[in-house]
Amino acid sequence: MTTLDIALPKMAVLYGLCFVPWLLLWLIGLRLSRDIAVSILRMSVQLALVGFYLKTLFSLNDPWLNGLWILVMLTVADLSILQRAGLKVRYFVLPTFAAIALGTLFATFYLVVLVIQPTHYYDARYIVPLAGMILGNCLQGNVIALERFYSALHKNENEYLTFLLLGATRWEAVRPYYRTAIKAALSPTIASMSTMGLVSLPGMMTGQILGGSEPWLAVKYQIAIMVCIFTSTTLACVVNLKLSLKAAFNDYDVLKDEVVKTR
Amino acid sequence: MPAIIQFDQTTVSVREKTILSGISFTVCAGEKAVLCGKSGSGKSTVLKTLLGLFAVTGGQVCFQGKPLDAASLQAIRSHTAYIGQEPVLGADTVRDALLLPFQFKAHRDHKPTDAQLVAVLAQLQLPSALLKQESSRISGGEKQRIALARGLLLGKKLYLLDEVTSALDNESKQAVFDVFADPSLTVLSVAHDPDWIERCDRVLELEEGRLIKETRHDHA
Repeated sequence: MTTLDIALPKMAVLYGLCFVPWLLLWLIGLRLSRDIAVSILRMSVQLALVGFYLKTLFSLNDPWLNGLWILVMLTVADLSILQRAGLKVRYFVLPTFAAIALGTLFATFYLVVLVIQPTHYYDARYIVPLAGMILGNCLQGNVIALERFYSALHKNENEYLTFLLLGATRWEAVRPYYRTAIKAALSPTIASMSTMGLVSLPGMMTGQILGGSEPWLAVKYQIAIMVCIFTSTTLACVVNLKLSLKAAFNDYDVLKDEVVKTR
Repeated sequence: MPAIIQFDQTTVSVREKTILSGISFTVCAGEKAVLCGKSGSGKSTVLKTLLGLFAVTGGQVCFQGKPLDAASLQAIRSHTAYIGQEPVLGADTVRDALLLPFQFKAHRDHKPTDAQLVAVLAQLQLPSALLKQESSRISGGEKQRIALARGLLLGKKLYLLDEVTSALDNESKQAVFDVFADPSLTVLSVAHDPDWIERCDRVLELEEGRLIKETRHDHA
């Protein structure tokens, strides 16, 4: 079974669907035309570029090129996490990179090498999209973890210092905020797993079914990717916060004033 | 008496603003010293500098003869109880607040008994029924005394007190005075309360970050 193509004129028809939300938003007084137009344009251009490089990567299928592409994805994700979490890049760029690289590469290689087992473990058709999906979710989790953790520390600075003065080590004093931040970071993934298939059909599974895969095969891949997302997000968040402590505190265990952008 | 705390030409600047400007003084073991002065004169900064919360930008601060660094700071924190104007109890109930430090590795093996909790509360004129009270429902003065009780349970010998009698009635204040009549306890405090200042051995007067006057009280 082959997937039906969407020809360019039909793509124009598709974009026409956006007229409905645009009109509704305009009628309720929300003037978001510019934001909507920019978002749709960016999405289209970015995905067109993705299509182009994926086609090239798949045709070359070179392990070094695939590795380089994953490195680029990790770097962009690293910077994006820190920007969205409101943290200074120069303090956290290395810990965050190390944590997301560990989480993403561990889960991706586990899935590809031990579970899927393609002829070549570096096969771009598997490794690039799977690493991308895992990293994308890892990114969301790490934004939440870092943002919640450092906001809570900032907000509860007196409490944190009280713990220190009562004999807590730095690690003991930050632990309540650490646990809360990790829980918040993992909640969307855990909630998503528990309602998957009931509330919505997941994107990857839908894509595979539309691409001609048997539903059962698509289900197995969806389970595999969710397990990997959960593993990589947990690993990356736990390691990231722990590694970030060294950069964020001075020798006297006081949170450096300058690490958070908004302070 | 050996010097416990020594500020030697100490300057502290925060965000390019000088808060303490070359102040020098010592506090010896068992001594009760008080810092006085207007708001913004740098009194609380002295206490917080000693706890490593502000970096020393000039001169030095010594604790038991050793300059303040990451290693000596651990010694300061383990010997010192800091009680601020609005202490954070850090737990839902008074009982949990008193036991909070004993969750940490440093004090895990010295958890006090219920009898010890009741005794320390009584010493500070606090009823034992307070143990079950929610921390959010107690007054500022009670919070200060519970923070003080926590220090006593930990066997701290050095107390850094910031306006610790400001929210207390006369009876409660007397209980606090009685606690610090113990010659083995060293106190560096910030106060406006004339009764507290009168009971201290030494009064250090600050103005705009400078030590302008030092007075000794002879209680013999």
